[in-house]
Amino acid sequence: MSVYSIRRIMLESYPILFICVLIGLFAGGTLEKSLTGIKGTLVIMMVPLLNGIGGNLGCILGARLGSALHLGTVEPRLKGRVLRKNVHASVLTSIGIFLFISVIFFVIACMWGMGFVMAAKHALAFILAGMLLTPVIVVSVVTLAFLSFQKGLDPDNVVIPIATSIIDVAAAISLLIVAITIVGL
Amino acid sequence: MDVRSVVIQGLAILIICTFIELGAGFMLKGMEERFMLIPGLAIMTLPLLDLRGNINGALASRLGTALHTGVISPRLKLTAELTANLSASLILSLITSATIGVLSWLMGSMMGLPVNILQLMVIAVIAGFISGLVLALLTVLVAVFTYLRGWDPDNITSPAMSTIGDLMTVTCIYLAVLLVG
Repeated sequence: MSVYSIRRIMLESYPILFICVLIGLFAGGTLEKSLTGIKGTLVIMMVPLLNGIGGNLGCILGARLGSALHLGTVEPRLKGRVLRKNVHASVLTSIGIFLFISVIFFVIACMWGMGFVMAAKHALAFILAGMLLTPVIVVSVVTLAFLSFQKGLDPDNVVIPIATSIIDVAAAISLLIVAITIVGL
Repeated sequence: MDVRSVVIQGLAILIICTFIELGAGFMLKGMEERFMLIPGLAIMTLPLLDLRGNINGALASRLGTALHTGVISPRLKLTAELTANLSASLILSLITSATIGVLSWLMGSMMGLPVNILQLMVIAVIAGFISGLVLALLTVLVAVFTYLRGWDPDNITSPAMSTIGDLMTVTCIYLAVLLVG
């Protein structure tokens, strides 16, 4: 008798993946609509960075909260020192990494032959989008972790796929809105 | 827990991920013209990226648990348990990629774009399956390697794999687009 069955893995995974695809299509649709607007800029290059790194930040917080809920060091309520410290660490990490990436985009834009103002606008767009995304990451991961734990589901299986899909949509939308409307790339 | 050490560890792994994601970014920038030529391609790129991370993230986390509980031993042998895990991941890749193809066509039609269902399906399935195959094998290697090294899969394996997955997926989408024309 084997522990893993193909049938069971598929039946448990496909519904969640399907929900993720539905959420992800909104991110894709937004990108498709903005293609002409971002032509000639480096915004499309920023998409995997904001989505990927944002997703990674969510994964790390989700995995940490999942373990803490199982261990009992965090209770599914919005208070307590361990929860506050975890959120604090995530916000600091996100500010640090998004600042680092915006500096990289400043350098890439300069090397691409764009002027100082255009390069600075690229950096500004990335950091603004990152700062808009950070609360979405924290709120969605904490909410999903608590809800799934209260419902008796394993946060490890539910939180990360759904949170990364939500983060993808939020990242693509905030990046495109910031880049086109606010910074005017 | 110590906030400082969590931030430092997180930043270290994320800086490495940043450079890999930049590769994916350059690839997308290089595909910009193709996005204009193939309506609907941009729609499915993001769900395909997301899918890769989700399937391999789940595979990595199941393998991590299986290694810790001794169900799978840290050797590269195709046992029944490992085969079931790998096959399930590959079948899921295939079925979900096809789902993405159909739904992107539907979404594109609703947005009033001149989308071609056959073209989108072929690109989605080829890109999803090739990247799924490469990533599944890589996930097994990385899971066994990190387990033998004693690294924490929560903090290192998952972010690293999802980032490598992004780069592989964008590469495979580009290959599929070149193949379809």
